[in-house]
Amino acid sequence: MTAVTNIQKTDAELGLAQQFDDTRANLPGNAWVNTLREDAIRTFAKLGLPHRRVEAWKYTDLRSMLKVANTPAGSELHTVSDADLYQALGADLHGLGAHHIVFVDGVYDEENSFIIGDEAGLVHMTSLAETLDNPPEWFKGNFNKVNPRDNDHVVALNTAFMRDGAVLEIVKDAKLKRPVHLIFISSSKSAEAITERHFIHVEEGASATILESYVHLRAPDTQRNSVTELSIGKGAKVNHIKFQHEGAQASHLSNWMISIGESANYRGFQFTIGAKVSRNTINVNFDGSHSEADISGVAMLWDEQHSDTTMDIVHGVPNTLSRELFKTVLDDRGRAVFQGKLVVKPDAQKTDAKQMAHGMLLSETAEFDAKPELEIYADDVVCGHGATSGQLDEDMMFYMRQRGMSEETVQTLLILAFVGEAFELVEDEDIRAAFTAMAQAWLGGKSDE
Amino acid sequence: MLKIENLHATVGGSKILNGISLEIPNGEVHAIMGPNGSGKSTLSYVLAGRDGYEVTQGTATLNGTNLLDLEVDERAAAGVFLAFQYPHEIPGVATFIFLRHALNSVRKARGQEELTTPDFMRLVKGKAAELGVKDEMLKRPLNVGFSGGEKKRMEILQMAILEPSLCILDETDSGLDIDALKTVSEGVNALRSKDRSMLVITHYQRLLDYIVPDKVHVLSKGKIRHSGGKELALELEKSGYAEFVDEDAA
Repeated sequence: MTAVTNIQKTDAELGLAQQFDDTRANLPGNAWVNTLREDAIRTFAKLGLPHRRVEAWKYTDLRSMLKVANTPAGSELHTVSDADLYQALGADLHGLGAHHIVFVDGVYDEENSFIIGDEAGLVHMTSLAETLDNPPEWFKGNFNKVNPRDNDHVVALNTAFMRDGAVLEIVKDAKLKRPVHLIFISSSKSAEAITERHFIHVEEGASATILESYVHLRAPDTQRNSVTELSIGKGAKVNHIKFQHEGAQASHLSNWMISIGESANYRGFQFTIGAKVSRNTINVNFDGSHSEADISGVAMLWDEQHSDTTMDIVHGVPNTLSRELFKTVLDDRGRAVFQGKLVVKPDAQKTDAKQMAHGMLLSETAEFDAKPELEIYADDVVCGHGATSGQLDEDMMFYMRQRGMSEETVQTLLILAFVGEAFELVEDEDIRAAFTAMAQAWLGGKSDE
Repeated sequence: MLKIENLHATVGGSKILNGISLEIPNGEVHAIMGPNGSGKSTLSYVLAGRDGYEVTQGTATLNGTNLLDLEVDERAAAGVFLAFQYPHEIPGVATFIFLRHALNSVRKARGQEELTTPDFMRLVKGKAAELGVKDEMLKRPLNVGFSGGEKKRMEILQMAILEPSLCILDETDSGLDIDALKTVSEGVNALRSKDRSMLVITHYQRLLDYIVPDKVHVLSKGKIRHSGGKELALELEKSGYAEFVDEDAA
């Protein structure tokens, strides 16, 4: 990460620097925020876009993938209707009976957002833009807290350009029955860059399901950079789910930074079907003992889609448990990357950590790269990892076709079974059913080819 | 009626079947016996249409339909059912779901209407009860964690539901204890019908005590060397295959 001296800046890198100068005056924030932004852009100027010689980006050479820097969104406001949201999300996800917090092209859309009356006092939402203009002390104290990879290129860009996002609080002991659905919709016809940052604090003893949906109406080539900082209080329980269905030419750079308090339970899940290039970084810190995390996901990729999931799970205290299960289905020239780093610090005795990543390749040209990394500095721990990649089993297919099922039916059943094992980990039944239906539609869409 | 004429087949370039001719009229059960490597399982895979089993000569028709022109699933719809020696485990696919897709696929291909879910459930539960397959097993992923006997019973259940016109039983007795063998055989016998022909492939005579064949054929080196009545199985059990398989060489 240090040897970046004489590399010539790319058009995208030069463009980003120029855009910062052009738009900084229009970005929200007081002097404290401005300093953060300036530090961040300096960091980025030093690092540039990450490329394959940066270990964490070995398989996702963003420098060569991101040819141009789109114009930052937000100069012109777009409006969408609820019918647009329905169209972009699909009936199942639109109809969850959830609280809606909507962002259109990166800007908070108060019109379409609502907290349903029966839980109105339990969820507090402020826009990031408003928060940045007058940041409270807790915000300053927690900003960028869970970011084990210091000087992350993409997070630096996010800090420099962040325009809006959700600052969300689930109050102490609130047991939410309805999911909180954060909807990020891109609607612009012109190619834009959207930079969002979200702060979510689930207070002690609360429980909540938080769904982030990244969807598009038109905007096929949006560049999105999204960071979610989530802190989970003592004994709280959070189901944190992401659905990513950006446009076919879009890029989606996502960072989740999670800190888990004592005796808390975190269940993260990411379902990826969109974007040409996506990078999902997930950083998890265990801050309190007797806490648990299950972080899983499904990606279904085809054409020339590239999706990278990179995790840092840091067990820093004793008696914590983490589980990961990622399933990826790849067709055509689709490529998936899974990098799972588990760190067990010297104090983190009795850590129990297991990680699995499975790729299913439906074509000769698809590729799945898995790189587990274990760094264990404690001796009384149970840690394991595994990764597989393979095709549909021919013997199994023969057996099923001998029972009369067409090749297409067999493939659908076997692939749904493959991803179904991960979907099982989504606790909310309606969301699980919505994802399963989308996986089925994905398979159906491909068989029409 | 299954009619095989002068069937030759290769697997991975090696000749395994060397001119099999066989007719099984509807209503009859024929047994094929033979030593290991004689081509018994190959014959079943060739009839079912497995990839990698290449027919180089000869014909195979079922009730006049040329099987060799059809894809695996089309053969199943045409009435071919192969009960596997080692039924595959299908993780993540509940037995019910598997059976419903299978039945509706063949019904659709045969021009019949797909069954509604309640009708399907009634059918499956009824047949399952006859075979001693518990409802609980139908909810589990097909064959995953099933015992050898349970897997074979599940094969017969599938056979009963799909109503094939040709049943091929490939070493159905392997891995079965005597009780399981009886249950499975009763299930097969219940499916004997004047509209159906059966081909029972076995290494041992034991199975034929329970599924009594109309004819017995001895297969060796990819060709039928000898045919006879059910008593032939007993002779083989006593004297071994040697005197039958050497005929060709002699």
